[in-house]
Amino acid sequence: MNTKLWTGLRSIFLVLITVLWLVPVWLMVVNAITPSAQYSGTPTWWPGDLGLLTNLTEAWDTGQMGPGFLNSLYYSSICAAVAVLLAALAGFGTVVLKVRHKTLWFWLIYCGTLVPLQIFLAPMFTAAARSNLYDTRLGLMIVYVAIAIPFAYFLMRNFITTLPREVFEASSIDGAGPLMTFLRICLPMCRPAMFAAFIFQFTWAWNDLLFGMTLTASPQVRPIMASLINLNGNYSAVGPPTVLAGALIASVPTVAIFFVFQRFFVSSLTLSK
Amino acid sequence: MTVSASPARTAAHPTPAGPPPAAPHGRSLKDRLAASAFIGPATVFVGLVLLLPMVWTIATSFTRYNGVTMHWAGLDNYTRLLTDPGFGQSLLNTLLWSVGSLVLPVALGLLIAVVTQGSRLGTIARIAVIIPYALSGTATGVVYNFMLRSDGAVNQVLGTLGLDPVDWLLHWPMNTVTMIVASTWQATGINVVLFMVGLQTVPSSTIEAARLDGASGGKLFWRVVFPQMASSTIVVVGMALANSLKTFDLVWLLTSGGPGTASETLALTMYRQTFLLSRYGLGAATAVVLAIIVVAASWLYLRRSLRPEPA
Repeated sequence: MNTKLWTGLRSIFLVLITVLWLVPVWLMVVNAITPSAQYSGTPTWWPGDLGLLTNLTEAWDTGQMGPGFLNSLYYSSICAAVAVLLAALAGFGTVVLKVRHKTLWFWLIYCGTLVPLQIFLAPMFTAAARSNLYDTRLGLMIVYVAIAIPFAYFLMRNFITTLPREVFEASSIDGAGPLMTFLRICLPMCRPAMFAAFIFQFTWAWNDLLFGMTLTASPQVRPIMASLINLNGNYSAVGPPTVLAGALIASVPTVAIFFVFQRFFVSSLTLSK
Repeated sequence: MTVSASPARTAAHPTPAGPPPAAPHGRSLKDRLAASAFIGPATVFVGLVLLLPMVWTIATSFTRYNGVTMHWAGLDNYTRLLTDPGFGQSLLNTLLWSVGSLVLPVALGLLIAVVTQGSRLGTIARIAVIIPYALSGTATGVVYNFMLRSDGAVNQVLGTLGLDPVDWLLHWPMNTVTMIVASTWQATGINVVLFMVGLQTVPSSTIEAARLDGASGGKLFWRVVFPQMASSTIVVVGMALANSLKTFDLVWLLTSGGPGTASETLALTMYRQTFLLSRYGLGAATAVVLAIIVVAASWLYLRRSLRPEPA
């Protein structure tokens, strides 16, 4: 009897949770489908006519989500790749090579992730403005790479410490220099960790709003979240269906990545071994 | 996100493993060159783009700087913050965010992870909760802006039930509480995933043994299972703490810190002072205070949670 009551309560709780969590997603999708012209001024709860493609096109072109999407694709993939590569090099350097003050190097590279990003923001803006890097792709990318390095380094360093030392020693006894050992031995073994770090940093850069809105202004340079803020700012002019279609465009890549690579996220959060 | 997991990361390796003592004569010039070629690029990036600005911000916080002229101001900015009621409000909101994020997404995450184990309905519920985690704070803000405005979906539901509409975002503390709930919708998913990982690491033999000893239900969970999930709990709580202190995207989108500055968090106050008012010194001081709070909270928290367990 007691167990029956418990099972019943549990089922009610689970249904409640599911509904509460799915309603916002449902509303987002249904209203992004509703043709803008037919939008009544209050949220629609059931899909009627299909206007999704028109809304997506409207958000992509007029709402400038298109350039933002492509910019972010470019920034996130290149910056994550560069940061992970530099982090792997530094990880190899501080774990395998003979270096003095290893702890010092570790903290020097790693400490950037301990403080909130706000502490970097104003000087970055000033420096970008003075060096003509404000509102340029290069300026934003330098910042993204730098911010991605500390955590990527942490992951790579931890991973490389778990690799057997003997492999590296054997390679060096065989006469291979550090670069050869890194390229031939270390990189192939590090592939899973590098991939996890890449996915993680890609998602971070994709979702960044703070640096995008501070360091860029023009639609040709703005990353996607800054474009989405602009689109939302024109809420009454373009209409809710287009704004929500814009939010869909901004979300699809990270949702897809998250569900395909869920275990990588989890492994990089639960201490990356 | 990058910064958020820092307590976890420190948890794994509080300090890097000590290197085996290098043979003194093994360090030729060539070795040194090779080492700097490997460590150099990452260090230069971090040093020039992160550490230098950090030092610059700390220095600026002791000056009066409007972007053009800079004067030494000693601790003026800090004393101004202390006497500024807006800053007090911002500090209070930041605190509310931390407490709210510790209570809601963490507790709900644990509850959902436990309750959804081993049932089909549970799997569906779990997926529903995880989906929003993949959305950015900005996209979450867009969706909640749509739902919470005066003619939005939530008030529509209230109207159908015969209730009066509520101004969710126009009054403090209602706006901050509402935004914490919106953030809970987005952030609970990852906690569920991490707690599930923790649950799976508890060996079933331990649970069997406890059952044989007569433990069941709540007692079995709190006394036997939960202590074994410590590493997951440390990660989840540390992330929630660090993330909540740095809340920016969602608030920026939903209220921009308003009305006035009523719902600002420290991250927004810093942004407004620096970029809207051009008070770089005051903005820098706010950033420094925020950094001190984040670092101190992480340190205190980790020091407590990483006490070596009795063997």
